[in-house]
Amino acid sequence: MKIVLNGKEVAAKEGQTILEVARANGVNIPTLCYVPALDAAAMCRLCTVELTEGRRTKLVTSCNYPLRRDAEIQTDTDALRNGRRLLIELLAPRCPDSVKLQELAAEYGANLKRFPESNQDCVMCGLCARVCERVGGRTLTLSGRGVEIHVDTAFGRPSELCIGCGACAQICPVNKIQVVDEDGFRRVIVRGQEASRIPLNKCTSCGKFFGPVISLSQVMANLGEEKVPPPNQSVCPECSRHNLAIRMAQRHFEQYELAPHETVEEV
Amino acid sequence: MAQAISPANIDNIPTIKISSPRDLEEYRQALLAASDPNAPRIVVCCGTGCQATGSVEVVEALKAAVEEAGWEGKVIPSLKKTGCHGFCSRGPLVIIEPMDLFYQRVKGSDAAEIVNLTLMKGEVIKRLQYKPADAKEPVAKSHDIPYYAKQTRIVLENIGKIDPFEIKDALVHGAYKSLAKALTEMSPAQVIEEVSISKLRGRGGGGFPTGLKWESCAKQAGTRYVICNADEGDPGAFMDRSLLEGDPHRVLEGMALTGYALGSHRGYVYCRAEYPLAVRTLTNAIRQAEELGLLGENILGTGFDFKLTISTGAGAFVCGESSALMSSLEGKVGRPRPKYIRSVEKGFRDSPSNLNNVETFANVPMIVEKGGEWYKSIGTERSTGTKVFALTGNVYNIGLVEVPMGTSLREIVYGIGGGIPNKKELKAVQTGGPSGGCIPIPKKFLDINVGFGKLAEVGSMMGSGGMIVMDEDTCMVEVARYFINFLVEESCGQCTPCREGLIRMVEILTRITKGQGREGDIEALQEIGEFTNNFSLCGLGTSAANPVFSTIKYFREEYEAHIYDKKCPAGVCKPLFHYEIDAEACTGCGLCRMKCPAKAIAGEKKKPHAIDQSLCIKCMECYRNCKFKSIRIL
Repeated sequence: MKIVLNGKEVAAKEGQTILEVARANGVNIPTLCYVPALDAAAMCRLCTVELTEGRRTKLVTSCNYPLRRDAEIQTDTDALRNGRRLLIELLAPRCPDSVKLQELAAEYGANLKRFPESNQDCVMCGLCARVCERVGGRTLTLSGRGVEIHVDTAFGRPSELCIGCGACAQICPVNKIQVVDEDGFRRVIVRGQEASRIPLNKCTSCGKFFGPVISLSQVMANLGEEKVPPPNQSVCPECSRHNLAIRMAQRHFEQYELAPHETVEEV
Repeated sequence: MAQAISPANIDNIPTIKISSPRDLEEYRQALLAASDPNAPRIVVCCGTGCQATGSVEVVEALKAAVEEAGWEGKVIPSLKKTGCHGFCSRGPLVIIEPMDLFYQRVKGSDAAEIVNLTLMKGEVIKRLQYKPADAKEPVAKSHDIPYYAKQTRIVLENIGKIDPFEIKDALVHGAYKSLAKALTEMSPAQVIEEVSISKLRGRGGGGFPTGLKWESCAKQAGTRYVICNADEGDPGAFMDRSLLEGDPHRVLEGMALTGYALGSHRGYVYCRAEYPLAVRTLTNAIRQAEELGLLGENILGTGFDFKLTISTGAGAFVCGESSALMSSLEGKVGRPRPKYIRSVEKGFRDSPSNLNNVETFANVPMIVEKGGEWYKSIGTERSTGTKVFALTGNVYNIGLVEVPMGTSLREIVYGIGGGIPNKKELKAVQTGGPSGGCIPIPKKFLDINVGFGKLAEVGSMMGSGGMIVMDEDTCMVEVARYFINFLVEESCGQCTPCREGLIRMVEILTRITKGQGREGDIEALQEIGEFTNNFSLCGLGTSAANPVFSTIKYFREEYEAHIYDKKCPAGVCKPLFHYEIDAEACTGCGLCRMKCPAKAIAGEKKKPHAIDQSLCIKCMECYRNCKFKSIRIL
């Protein structure tokens, strides 16, 4: 398999995507909706490149195009740069304060103010929904159709499936998802709207609130890790560590009186 | 007193499980013997179109009238409800057999007259007959009507002849003959070979060679699926619906043949839920075919199994796209899959899946029966066979039209369609649904031959077969806006170009039609259109801008008139025109004054009238009704 990337022959394994090969060879292709840990969705179309296989030249998204035979790839032609510029201009109204879009705009000479703002606080990369499906409680999903498509929970109500893992907040490229712990509850707020509200565990030892009250069995099953034992949800990790330390100390160093919890922390 | 004679009846033949192809032929012969083609019969079209205009009521009235009349010594005429005859603008349609008398726009109140005059005495009711636009005398027989006479009905052959809810009637007309032939005389490879020879191309719009698709699917390992795409959603297109409603067994037989050819035992029909009659017809047809042993397990005792299931969509246009359809069939959201793999390799449930359109499947039985060479002799070199078009818009005869590929637009619009009503000029023909394009007619394209290649050449496409005829009163900017707006609503929304690009195009087009167009709008439309066509994920997005491209290409001056002169030459975009009465042409007949709902027209009898612009609501009533063409669009 002979792969020529921007005029230079590069090594590639069969089935590797164009994006993987490009990144391995230090060629930058911009992406918005791609992270290596999740299946490519090819939604943002920013990573579109020009591919010639045989006699046919076509535009494909590099994040999900598997290389199977000799190919020539161009990643930065004028036509592609123009397309990316317009793509950024079209996306900008949704989320004008996105740093990522501003960076891309600078790179491709896009006019972020070309179209009137709609301020949806979301660039519709779908990452939150995909990561939620992969590692979370399958709470967030893409709801609606066409221009009305948006990230939402089932029926737009706060979800009971959420495990409060916060993966959505962490992955969001425009930082529009927040995880807030207060008053004994963890709330996930997606674009200003409460997506879930989960009671937090109160530590039976120190009385502090910690991780959310959840059943992880379904999530572990989704990940193929059914055999991992459920976590201790009655004692906070700190107390858990502290209590273990006490037990170990008492077993091995009976003669010592251990300092109370707080002092250990200070030490 | 002489007794009335009951007509020969296939209902008296019991339903049996047919266990060999020879038994099927015997059963067919028994059915043929029990049906007399020369018996008097009233055939009523009960397609969706005619039902909408009241054919159900007509059937009830006819039934009552037949019961009331005394048939001493005569054969009681039977009443048959069929699928769509195709001549929808003239519905409800009634045909009296064996004379082949054609009655149109029949009402329930006409029933007694039809029975007492036509059937009892053989008298023709002139009032119900069809008169072509330019003819003086009505046409009596349905086969003589130019609309039917000029068509080549192969796929639609049995529609209008058979009762779609009665498999025995379909058997009388030759259904499942090809399946029996293939199962006994042909190997699966031979079936594929025959389809390859026929050069049949996908009728859903893509035009991919069906034989090639089958071949590559048959090569795959694992469970293979045969799926029928009956998610017909193009505005104004109803070919597939009529096929399913009128002759479901032809489609089912085509699917079973495909299953046999591909070594598949499982088929699905993905039908849109907005076609309740089609779903009912299909459900019934599958049940009846299974009862007779023509579908299901051990078909005709040959050991071949083929199980068919109907799945209904939930009203998304995008589910006509193959990967979205398969997602939807799996129970997931109907969004196209972002995967560079063909569905013949990995489709439904990640298994090899062969998806064809309703009309493609309907073509298969006769290819198997008469051979690929025969099929190839119809149509053109590269587009073989016939194509069913849904002819709509500003044309005299609206309905389903089947013609050989390569028939000229002139023949379709004027020969079969009967031309443009109200003495208007033909302006354009739109083909290919929302992803197609507008072909300008007076300029040069009236004689192009309709085929896959030719339509693409002039910037449109075959699509699934919608054909919208537009007269001079059509604004092309508004047409483009309508189609893009349709796609904005039907876009799945997952990919950026289609979701964000199309809505911007609609904004620009709407602005232009409101008279707020500005310099650079045409260029912006072209820029965004090119981008959506190049960067989108699925076929919906990559062809979405076609209506804009073709209208800009052929009707640029109309865009410019909107943007720079703030005029809509066709008189459609309300802020961009006004009506004026040409004082010289006006005879002062007063018709416009009487028709005007806004009381905006004043004038004395036999003297030129005038329109008060401040009152005019531009409803078009005066323009449409003036017999002297004295209302001008300015």
